[in-house]
Amino acid sequence: MSRPFPYAYISCPCANTPVPDPSKKRRSRESPQKASHHPDHPKPPPRFDDSEDEQTFDPRAPRSNFSLYPPEHLLYCEDCHQIKCPRCITEEIVCWYCPNCLFETPSSMVKSEGNRCARNCFNCPACTAPLAVNTLENVVRGGTSQQGPWVLSCGYCMWSTLDIGIKFDKPTNIRTQLAKLTATDSNPARSRQMSRTFGELKSPLSTFASIDEPFPPASGEARADDSSDQSTTPLSPDARFHALKNFYKNQISATSSSPNDPLGVDFGAGFSSPGALNRIMSLYTSSSRLSSLYGGASKKPKTKPPVMREALTASEGFQTPAPDAEMSFLQRMAREECGWDGLASLEQRGFQPPTARFVDELLPLATLLRTKRAKRCKSCKHILVKPEQKPQSTRFRIRLIALSYIPLPTLRPLTMPVPPPAGTAAAGVTMAATTTSISMPVNLDALPPLRPTQLLLTLKNHMFDPVRITLATPAVTPGRVASRVTILCPQFDIGANSDVWDEALQANSATAAATADQRSSRSGAGAVAASTTTNNPPFGVYEKVAEAGKVWDKGRNWTTVVLEVVPGTLPPSSATLPPPKTTTTTTTKITETADNDGDSDSNSDTSSFGTGAVPDWTGQAAERDKQQQQQQQQQQPLQPDEDVLEIPVFVRMEWDSENQIDRPGVSAAGEMVKRELAYWMVLGVGRIDPSVLG
Amino acid sequence: MASTSFSNSGYEDNKRPFSMSSLRGAPASPHTPQHHLRSNNSSFASTTSSTSYRGEEDAIIFEFGARWLRAGFEGESVPMCVVGCGPEECRRVGDYRGWLKSNNPDTDPGQSRPLVNAEDWASAYELWNMDLRAVDLGLVEDKIERMFRETYNKYLLTDAGTSRLVLVLPAIMPHPLLSSLLSTLFSRWRFPSITLLTSATMTATAAGVRSALVVDIGWAETVVTGVYEYREIAIKRSTRAMKALLQETGRLFTNIPTVRDGRSQAASRDEGISVQFEFCEEVASRFLWCKPRENASAESQQQQQQQQEQIQIQPSPDEPPDPTTQPPSSLTSLLQRTVEIPSPLHPSSAYIELPFSTFAEPVETVLFAAGTADCELDDEEKPLPLLIYNALLALPPDARGTCMSRMIFTGGGANIPGIRQRILADVAALVAEHGWSPVRGKVIEQQRRKLANLRLSHSSRTRRAASQIPTSPLITTLKQEEDLEDPIEQKIRRNNRDRDRDALPPSVQGVLREVESLGPWAGASLTTSLKIRGMVEIEREKYLQHGLAGASREFEAHGHAPDRRSGLRAGGGGDRSSWTLAGWG
Repeated sequence: MSRPFPYAYISCPCANTPVPDPSKKRRSRESPQKASHHPDHPKPPPRFDDSEDEQTFDPRAPRSNFSLYPPEHLLYCEDCHQIKCPRCITEEIVCWYCPNCLFETPSSMVKSEGNRCARNCFNCPACTAPLAVNTLENVVRGGTSQQGPWVLSCGYCMWSTLDIGIKFDKPTNIRTQLAKLTATDSNPARSRQMSRTFGELKSPLSTFASIDEPFPPASGEARADDSSDQSTTPLSPDARFHALKNFYKNQISATSSSPNDPLGVDFGAGFSSPGALNRIMSLYTSSSRLSSLYGGASKKPKTKPPVMREALTASEGFQTPAPDAEMSFLQRMAREECGWDGLASLEQRGFQPPTARFVDELLPLATLLRTKRAKRCKSCKHILVKPEQKPQSTRFRIRLIALSYIPLPTLRPLTMPVPPPAGTAAAGVTMAATTTSISMPVNLDALPPLRPTQLLLTLKNHMFDPVRITLATPAVTPGRVASRVTILCPQFDIGANSDVWDEALQANSATAAATADQRSSRSGAGAVAASTTTNNPPFGVYEKVAEAGKVWDKGRNWTTVVLEVVPGTLPPSSATLPPPKTTTTTTTKITETADNDGDSDSNSDTSSFGTGAVPDWTGQAAERDKQQQQQQQQQQPLQPDEDVLEIPVFVRMEWDSENQIDRPGVSAAGEMVKRELAYWMVLGVGRIDPSVLG
Repeated sequence: MASTSFSNSGYEDNKRPFSMSSLRGAPASPHTPQHHLRSNNSSFASTTSSTSYRGEEDAIIFEFGARWLRAGFEGESVPMCVVGCGPEECRRVGDYRGWLKSNNPDTDPGQSRPLVNAEDWASAYELWNMDLRAVDLGLVEDKIERMFRETYNKYLLTDAGTSRLVLVLPAIMPHPLLSSLLSTLFSRWRFPSITLLTSATMTATAAGVRSALVVDIGWAETVVTGVYEYREIAIKRSTRAMKALLQETGRLFTNIPTVRDGRSQAASRDEGISVQFEFCEEVASRFLWCKPRENASAESQQQQQQQQEQIQIQPSPDEPPDPTTQPPSSLTSLLQRTVEIPSPLHPSSAYIELPFSTFAEPVETVLFAAGTADCELDDEEKPLPLLIYNALLALPPDARGTCMSRMIFTGGGANIPGIRQRILADVAALVAEHGWSPVRGKVIEQQRRKLANLRLSHSSRTRRAASQIPTSPLITTLKQEEDLEDPIEQKIRRNNRDRDRDALPPSVQGVLREVESLGPWAGASLTTSLKIRGMVEIEREKYLQHGLAGASREFEAHGHAPDRRSGLRAGGGGDRSSWTLAGWG
């Protein structure tokens, strides 16, 4: 469902190696039964000591969502000879840039700007669309156009900074302007929301150093204001935070620098003050003359060390809520003009100061920066991806994507009338007639259950070595909806990829063979480009019949085999997830027999698979528990996406490649080495039609 | 005082080695700026030079909850981002159905949503459940890994694993969960060390107090923690929290007649929820509110009395309460209002109108257990006021006096408007009713009456008066306290005042009072930026050797025997050869 059917996902092999728990070794040595899992634990994670990965990959398991990736998302490490997913790489940031203006931000500035663009890029707080800087008035007077105050406005939802009463004097440097506006705002309710403003972020030195800006008097005024009626005006969270921080700093320095502190905190703090040094000096000299010379820091040696006190005043960051704050908030909430749209949604509040609850308290958000990242293999630290540093460039210096190493799987339905299940050999001339009559392609969004459907699986090799592929799939897909799967030809070879030039030269030499080759390669390319059934070759191509043990079609660097699928029936539940649009009104009725059939299938399958995995040390009781669980599972209504037919396929590829030169031990450079790679792949075929009886 | 300098300090300040105080000349004696020991063992950092500028000094703070992950840098007041882990976040890579309009049950109108079991309905959005029997730890590990990776890549914009990590965690974590959390982080990235801090203590720190009663109305449970001098000394829990509240809200919307048009009207409570979780949470965050206590006028009078009392003791910080703030008519006018919300069935197309009072009902039933008799409540599902009262009761009297006037509300539930006042009023009523005695029952009452009849002592009379006039006991205790002012204490106070030079208000004690906190994340940020190190600092190499089992349990082995519950350790010294899990051990 995630992508249009049919699709293919590849499971990164790293999913089979769980996070090593260092305490497990020790724990298992001490008490073995503690380490083993509770018997009714649904899916125990695979262990290291599982000799072989006998487990069938279950695409429906909740964990598999985290290990399945579309093939183009995967990388390949040439050193480990292994597929690498985002989980088994480490990333390093190459550059930071604003996705809106594509300006690069130097790394020293990123943090001070709060990971956001420092220029004019803002996002709408209401709908997250980018905001544009617009002028309010545009008066052309005597050749010189005079442009009025500026606002940020959203072209999507028509929000503008006028809604919160903010105008800008000039169209540049909006962020600093906004910071100034919000910092010097006289309205306490406003300044309360302005938590992270730029003016506050600046240190006093830098503020006063910039003389040309009218900021210092304003901030001084604000400070005087704060000191005068600090009891009435609640501080913004940010201001409170810094007040608290200063308070703690003062307290810590006051308490730890006391000369009587008996090495209280640690030595570093004890030595840091002259008083402490003095005391240590007097340890050695012990002459009253010297101590009097150094002053009377240790005059009262018997007083207790001072204790850090708690914050008591608002200027120290202490705050008790106003008694009527909640009530006035409620009143405002229930007011007519507020309503649903007046209150900010959870998403809108995500990046706003925590006190903002209403829409008119939201501030425009500077655009979050993005990064270009280099990627390394987690185990061998080799670089897998290295982009160019310039934000505008889309080039990569190094890019080892997995698709140049593993065959690209593509799936498409074999648009052929479904042969009668009794006799597959009854094809032939009569087939052609039926193809013309039933030329409707298979609707993958509504696969008829219990009816064989044939699919073409094409694997295209991008390596310059021929590859031998072995496919394996469970006869019955795991899960409640048990579909039978048969790969008609599970073992085949794929030719090597070659240069385009080579291909062209070959085509010149042998014409007759080349035309066939081109044709087939074109069809292979067609399968790659569009997996939908629209640009399939004419049906005349497919007048042959899929045979077991035979490759369906083969091209220069691709091979197609046939997969036969018998979709299982869905469990009976009227409250199924909505089937695709056309079938919303039809009710689901599945005959008892079909249901029983499906049940027994999945029962036998899961139980046999379960006993292999779960250490069954409680015997009967656990078995009964499991059965009960399964029964409960059977009775559950259809889960979302349970009707999607996904086939786990185990791919094992073998090829001979040139040995790398720098490998120690093996001397010859040109020696051929056997390589193999194995991974699980999930083919999403389609959705099973709930309305059709089995 | 350096108190006025808050408006100038900022991000740049955090990176400076010297403190603000040295600039402003505030401290009592001149001293060299403290050199703080930092862990320099960021063993394998990235080799690209451009990345090594930032991040190495600043620790990164993550606050873990059952639903949300907050992340940001130390020294900042708000986290950089808040990340959830709903089903949308747990999809496969390349699965963009959340953005699709068509064929999506969540956005497609005209499709009846199935009834979902309330537990499943909510648990899909949890990162973990404390009941580990039903939790697939591997899945939790996967989720944590993905959340961390995406947080770093999208919001923190720094290389993962280069800097110290600080985790703010609930005070009680199951060891398997903690182990898989730490194992994931240590094995996936190269964090040099991970510090654990408890959320309750951090909340108190972020309020500027040393002792507090932290009421965390969280997701799965409400935790009331008595923190005294940064030590957690009493914890009470209740399952009446936001999860139950959201489930109740979901049932409420499921049972609205227009929503249930097709189904049978006989709605049993445990039938299931048909509305969308996101919709429910949205409504809950916008419109759920809490009614004030019923006899509001009397309570507000009492409150005002309390506050006046408080003001007599402590003249400066609070503004004088306006006597006309809470006219009783305001509540009735509120109750008559109606509010339009999107229809639960078709959130994008239609609106329905509901009385404003509807949105107070789930809060009443879930958090305050309205309509449920006391005797039916299990120990784990006490209503919040009773829970707070019990937590206070469990504290020693002097700690109780300190904590009750430093109540901090935190967690998602603390944002429900009206809930803080309501809880405070309810707790005050409980105190008025029972005093500070855990003993209840008819026999006790009879005996007490007999005793009261027998001896007409002064104290018993005041007690009886207290039981008649609900406002008095607080004030009487207060007055008693005033009467019994210790001469020694007075002297100490005088001395302290001399030393502090400026007259600070004495600390409030013995009255119910709420204090606002910036939240546990901000507390951890504050603590970390002050270079105070946590008790539990797990170093990479040590953890990778033995895991959680390597934590030493002998606290005497440490140089300074710290209180294990504090979760904080001052300075950077101490014996580093062994590490401990402190309260988590």
